[in-house]
This record gives sequence, C-alpha cells and structure tokens, in this order.
Amino acid sequence: MQVMFRQPWLRHNGGMNSPREPNIDSGHWAPEQSAPHQAVLQRLRALLPAASVITDTSGLRPYETDGLTAIREMPWVVVLPETEAQVAEVVRCCAEHGVPVIARGAGTGLSGGARPHARGVVLGLSKMSAIEKIDTENRVAVVQPGVRNLAISQAAQQYGLYYAPDPSSQIACSIGGNVAENAGGVHCLKYGLTVNNVFGARVVLADGSIVELGGTLYDNPGPDLLALLCGSEGMLGIVTQVTVALLPTPETKAVLLAGFAKVVDAGSAVAQIIGAGIIPAGMEMMDKLAVQAAEAFAKAGYPLDAEAILIIELDGSAAELGALTDKVTGLLKANGAYQIDEAHDASTQARLWKGRKSAFPAVGRLSPDYLCMDGTIPRKALPSVLTEIDTISQAFGLAVANVFHAADGNLHPLVLFDANEPGQTDKAMAMGAKILEACVAAGGTITGEHGVGVEKLDTMCVQFTSAELEQFFRLKTAMDPQGLLNPGKGIPTLTRCGELGGMHVHNGRLPFPELERF
Amino acid sequence: MALDATPDLIDQIKAAGQGNRKLLIQGHSSKRGWLASSRGDDVLDLTSHQGVLQYQPEELVITARAGTPLALIEETLADCGQMLASEPPCLGANTSGAGTLGGAVASGLSGPGRPWLGAIRDAVLGVELINGAGEYLRFGGQVMKNVAGYDVSRLQAGAWGCLGVMSVISLRVQPLAEQEWTLSGAMAADAAIDLCADLGRRNLPINGNCWYQGVLYLRLSGNASGVAAACESLSASGLSRTDETPDLWRQLKNHEHLFFHRGAAPKDDSNAEPSVGSRAKLWRVITPPAAPLPSFLNAPETDLLTLWNGGLRWLYHDQDDAVRAYSHAVGGWCWALGEVMPMEAAQRRVIEHLMAAFDSSGVFANPLGLAPKAVSLSGGVS
Repeated sequence: MQVMFRQPWLRHNGGMNSPREPNIDSGHWAPEQSAPHQAVLQRLRALLPAASVITDTSGLRPYETDGLTAIREMPWVVVLPETEAQVAEVVRCCAEHGVPVIARGAGTGLSGGARPHARGVVLGLSKMSAIEKIDTENRVAVVQPGVRNLAISQAAQQYGLYYAPDPSSQIACSIGGNVAENAGGVHCLKYGLTVNNVFGARVVLADGSIVELGGTLYDNPGPDLLALLCGSEGMLGIVTQVTVALLPTPETKAVLLAGFAKVVDAGSAVAQIIGAGIIPAGMEMMDKLAVQAAEAFAKAGYPLDAEAILIIELDGSAAELGALTDKVTGLLKANGAYQIDEAHDASTQARLWKGRKSAFPAVGRLSPDYLCMDGTIPRKALPSVLTEIDTISQAFGLAVANVFHAADGNLHPLVLFDANEPGQTDKAMAMGAKILEACVAAGGTITGEHGVGVEKLDTMCVQFTSAELEQFFRLKTAMDPQGLLNPGKGIPTLTRCGELGGMHVHNGRLPFPELERF
Repeated sequence: MALDATPDLIDQIKAAGQGNRKLLIQGHSSKRGWLASSRGDDVLDLTSHQGVLQYQPEELVITARAGTPLALIEETLADCGQMLASEPPCLGANTSGAGTLGGAVASGLSGPGRPWLGAIRDAVLGVELINGAGEYLRFGGQVMKNVAGYDVSRLQAGAWGCLGVMSVISLRVQPLAEQEWTLSGAMAADAAIDLCADLGRRNLPINGNCWYQGVLYLRLSGNASGVAAACESLSASGLSRTDETPDLWRQLKNHEHLFFHRGAAPKDDSNAEPSVGSRAKLWRVITPPAAPLPSFLNAPETDLLTLWNGGLRWLYHDQDDAVRAYSHAVGGWCWALGEVMPMEAAQRRVIEHLMAAFDSSGVFANPLGLAPKAVSLSGGVS
C-alpha cells in the first residue's frame, strides 16, 4: 500500500491522514513523563541553551511532519544543537536512557523519513549551517549538515564552481538530509547522485562516538562505509560535517525541446542518444497529460498535440557543444520528432525548463489530489511500463500523468484522484502500489530518489525477500544495537510484510521456505 | 563460457560454517602481492562462476557473474564502444588471468580516470551476495537511481570479501570518447600539481593526468572539436600533443608502467634503476590532490609518480615513519603494497560489527586483518 503524498502547497481542504498511522491531536498531547525521559530532559537542558530545547506544543508543531504532510506525529522534544560535540552528547545521553533520536535537516523529504517519534528526541540540525571551507585548490566544500544544497553552489559561484546534485527542493533542503536520502535531481546521469558527489563525512554513531569517513580524498581503505551512510535515512548515524565535490560551472548549455506523436518514438530517441555515446546533462520526458497541464500552467511553449515531449540539456565547452547539439538534433529527427526547439540563451532555456519544473503543481490544478510515485525502471522498459500504467489506470478508473527522468530511468507517475469522493483515496493508493509492482517486475525499484521513510515500508516487501530484510536488520543492529536512531523507518518488519501478504516471490519460487511466515 | 556455480558456492559456504573452517575467496589471485596474505583452510574458487548475464549498451549497465575475467568484460564493452567508468586495473596477468570482476569490485581499486569518471564504488549499481550463512541475497539492481534499503552493494567495494562473496555484479558503464589525445609538457612535480588544480577549475575535457620523471602527461577525451580546442588552449600552459606514449594510460591502469616494475627484474635502462636499494617499499599514498609534495624523497624524479591531480602519489621509500607522518600531516593515508591496509580504529570497529552482521561465524578469511565482533545490546563489544 502506498500512503498518500501531497506537496505542501496542495494541501487538500478536507485534510487527510493515513488511517494506519498514529496521529496525535494537540488537545490530547501529553509529554512523556517516564523517569528515563525526565533524566534525558535534564541533561539536554544542561547541555543546550533554553531556546534550543523545545518542549511546548506550539514550538513542537512545526516539527510534526516533513514533506510527506499526510503523516504527522508530535515529537516529545526537539533539540537544536550547534556543535558536533553537542550532537554527540545528545545521542550519547539518549543511548544511555533508551530514548529514540530522529535526525532532521530541512524537513523537505517526501517519504516521511523525518517523521518524529512520540517518545523520541528530534535532533534538528538547522543551526549547524556554516560553510566551513570552500577549497578551490582541491575543489571541495566542507560544510555543516544544515547548509542548504543551493547555498553551496552560491558560495562556490565566485570561483566558477558549483555542487552538482540538484534535487527539486534544492532551495530549501539541507546537505545532511541529502546524504541521508541520497538525493538525486535532474542531472544524475552525467553528474551522479549525492553518493557520487560526497568525499567525506564526520558521523555521530548510535553510541555517541564519532567516526570520520573519507576526506578530501579520492580513495579510502576498507568497505565503503560512506556509501552505506548515503541513503540510510538517519538510521545508521548522524552526519555532522560533509565534504562535497565542486565542479567547474559548465561554460555553455543548450536546451532542446522535442515533440513526438508516439511515446514509443520518444523512448527510442532516448535509447539511441545514449547508445550513440552521448551523456546529456539532463533528459526529461513528459506524457500528453503532463504536457497539457504544464503548458496551461507555465506557458512554456510545449506542443499540446504531442503524445510525449523530451527536454534535453547539453552542457560543456563551447567548442564541443556545437557538434554535440547537431548530433542530438539529428537523432531526434531520425526518431520522428516533429518539432524541435533549440534554446541557447538563458531566458529561453529557463522557459523550456519551467514547464517541466512546474509539472507537479500544474497537475495539481487538474485534480484536487494526486499521488506521486517514484519508481525507477530500466530505460528500455519505458514503453511497456507506460502501457501497463495505462492499463492499470483504466482498470482503476483514475487518470495518470507521467513525468520521467528519462536519462536515469526514474519515473514519477502522478495518480489523480479526489479524496472527497468516498473510496477514491484507497483506490489511488492501491493503484500506486500496482504501478510500483510493475516497476519492480520490469527490473526496477520502488524508489529512485524519494526514499522509503514510512511511506514505502509496505512496498519494500515487494522488492526484498525476508532473508534480505533480515540482513538489513542485522546490519542496522550492528550499528545501532538498541535501534534508537530513527526507529520504524526504511526497512519493514517481517511481521508487517507477512500481514500484507506481499512477500517477494522470485521466479515463482517462494524464497527460503524454511523461514517462519506470519 | 557461461557457468553458474552458485549452488556449489552455497554448499561450500554452508559446509565451511558447519565444519568451522575458513574460506579464502579467490579469483585470479592477481592482487596476491598487494595485501598481507590471509589464511583460509580452504579456497572458495570463483573462477568457474562466470558469464555476462545482461548487457545492452543503451542501458549503460553490464551484469555479470563475479568470476568473469575483467579482460572479457572490457572486450565486451569495447566492442560496443563502451568501457568500465572506473578503469579498474587488470593486474599482472598470471597463469589464471588478470583479475575477475568480483576482485575488481572487492578491492575497490580504480584507474587513472578516477577523479573524472568516478571510482568503482560509484559504478556499482547492484550485487547478488552470498553471506556467511550461505543465504543468497540481492541488493541494488540495474538502475542508476535506487534508494530502497541500505546500500549494501557499494559497501562491498573495498571490502575484499569480508562481508560475503559477491555472485553477480551490475556496473554502470561509460561510452568511449570519440577522440582521445595525450598531451605532455616538462615541468617539476609541484608545478604540475598546481597546474592540475588550475585546469580542474576550467571547462576542459580532461580525464587523466600523470606526473613522472619531470613530465606532466594529460589525457584529453571527448568529441573531436572539444579535444582539439582544448589542446590548442593548453599550449599556453606548456603542454602539447604527443604520440610517444600511445600505451601510457593502459600501462598506468594495469600497473604495467616501468615505474611499478623497477625492482622486479633487472633492466638495462639506467633511468629505471631505483635510487635506493631494494629495501625501498612501494607506497600508495592518498592525499588531498593539491597537498604539498613530500620533501623526504631521495630522488623525486624517479621515486614519485602522481595520478588523480596529485591525489594518488605512488612513491618508493625506505623510511616507513616518514611516509606515515607525511600522509597523516596532509590529511591522507598511505599503504605499503604487500602489507596490511591501515584503518582508523573507529572505522575498524564499525566494520568488525558489520562483519558479524554478514558473517557471524567468520567463514570468510579476509586480507584486511579484521575479525567479526558482535555488538551487545548496550552497544559495546561482547
């Protein structure tokens, strides 16, 4: 089952909460009074300034949810440390008393990874927001976890450098959260995800000890713990400092818009461009419904009669870009693009991108509610998965608009529904789950860049066997024996999967038949 | 030759666990000389477990069994105009081969293009792993963006098998460039490193550089017009195109370059003679790329070779303390080939706990000198 996702600006009047998730009404909110909690609170107050230990309802309220606004829970306490030593002390103190710790960056995550715990401390890293060093010789930035993604590029701009990963929330999201979710963006095929752009991190472990991973270094000894940390959703450690790669700002860019009469032609254009040895900086696809919504919203100049459009960004030196653009244009035409617009100036490029970037709110105008999926599929599976989504859509009677990071296979189908219509919410969620199952069946994954958090716990059961889930749990226990770092996120329990009946079956074989079933 | 040895591998692992015997995971043994020898009671031979399972060039992914020869993977990719992005080394071809795919990932070693093309850990998209209990587990997949579950796949890079044996690996691949030119220019090592830092801030199609014996070599790689324009602009920096070293980058990647073999066999070439006796160890020193060069080298011209903008410094030296103190002082680390790879205590502790999570009874021998340690509920080591 898929819990509803909604952009904050699309909050439905009726409001909606997942029926299975606890929700704490402010009227009944009573702070945790147990002895360990009181001991922790005393230590926190001694450790931090009064304003950095939040316990009152109105102060806690902003922390009750993240970008997955449908899911809320009031935290017990929020602390806002300013130093690594304070973070370590908070974690150590909570470990001693068995109190959960939920690290939180900017709270823009889309899967509920930062949802608070009623008996836990939310460790907000917003005050650790210093850019400690822009090292132009080694082309890295050393930053604290609360630094906003975009702020790194802004600080590096004067040296002609930037930080490449650009999740859609980059104005607001923090680098610590980016590491926790292994954030992506629209330029991943060429420039990689967060994991490919982080060289080092200082990490507070579950017992409050500190480990330094990597550095301003291209290679490190032993198993890649830094990679393990990326995308671990604050469940293995809390990042207190990050060293990120800076790249030279591309000298020139070209943005191409191509309209296709058939989705399958757009798909084959994508395959042929990559097959020709071209790695575009970005390559996005939108289907007809998404195009029509975006055009009505943003007036980007998209062809309204197209079944699919591609937006392709090419970058590099001026010398290489001309030939590259010609080659891509040729391949687009050869694959049946009936309209190709080339933009070489910043304002036209911005216009062409604007439609894509406003696709979510634009679709939001078509429908009172929508559900955003985040599957990834092998590029070659795109036509068949889109066909299958269409079939699923007709079977459920709900429309779908598709927005696709064609370069890296990350598909965001938006399921349109109306929460005020009885039964539609359940229907949409069931349909979303079917779409993700189709992604997994095509050789893909249930989440490309939004993370599992609490939102996709159930669909994790489709992707992993019980033995794999148990291995995840053993890994977690090795690093956090008491299970206090962000409990209940990321990995579903076997009980949960058993109850759903969604146990993963590979090649028709029931995996590990010797294991207990719930 | 496509052979699936999975059932055999699982049987051997389970038997070793029951018999309390240690297994030494082995491919071509091409890196045998790199780490201190690790002892196993039995060998878990991966060389018959081979075959490319899936490869479609336009998907930019290759999936193969871990025992597949790296050379075969490279050939398969080259036939379709592609390459492994991380340029993992094929080392000292011995009778059994020059390295397997599994060995390439397990060792985590990357070639001369690492700063531009990524390390092998960056290229890993998925692994199928057999843990110490003989369970067959799939992590990651064949897609670039995947945040479902912990990244157990990339964790295997550099693990040297201490967290299980990889059975099948999916790697991201890279198109071969339309044009590749080598430029060279005479300059001192410190000037070369300064220049590399400067060039790194510009939009240039560079994807390799190397300083050795007073010459900086630069690899330009991209489309024809971009490479030609870059070559022209780099003449101002004293660099010009050379055809004298057509094999340089392959030699550096596979450690076939003269620098790496000075002690191995007597050579007539006087340039290749080590400046110090055979006691001088070969050190792999990883530093911030622009870190100052060591001042203690006996003969920097011949004892030093830098790659990765200066971030990888191979050097010959006989004073361990001097190399270690230097590496530490500049914020890097060093490793004398043939010895145990050093690791910080805090990191070692985490890895030993993870080993307990993947291989609680310690079935897999590992060359990192680590042993699984279970955590107690209070967080301490039991």
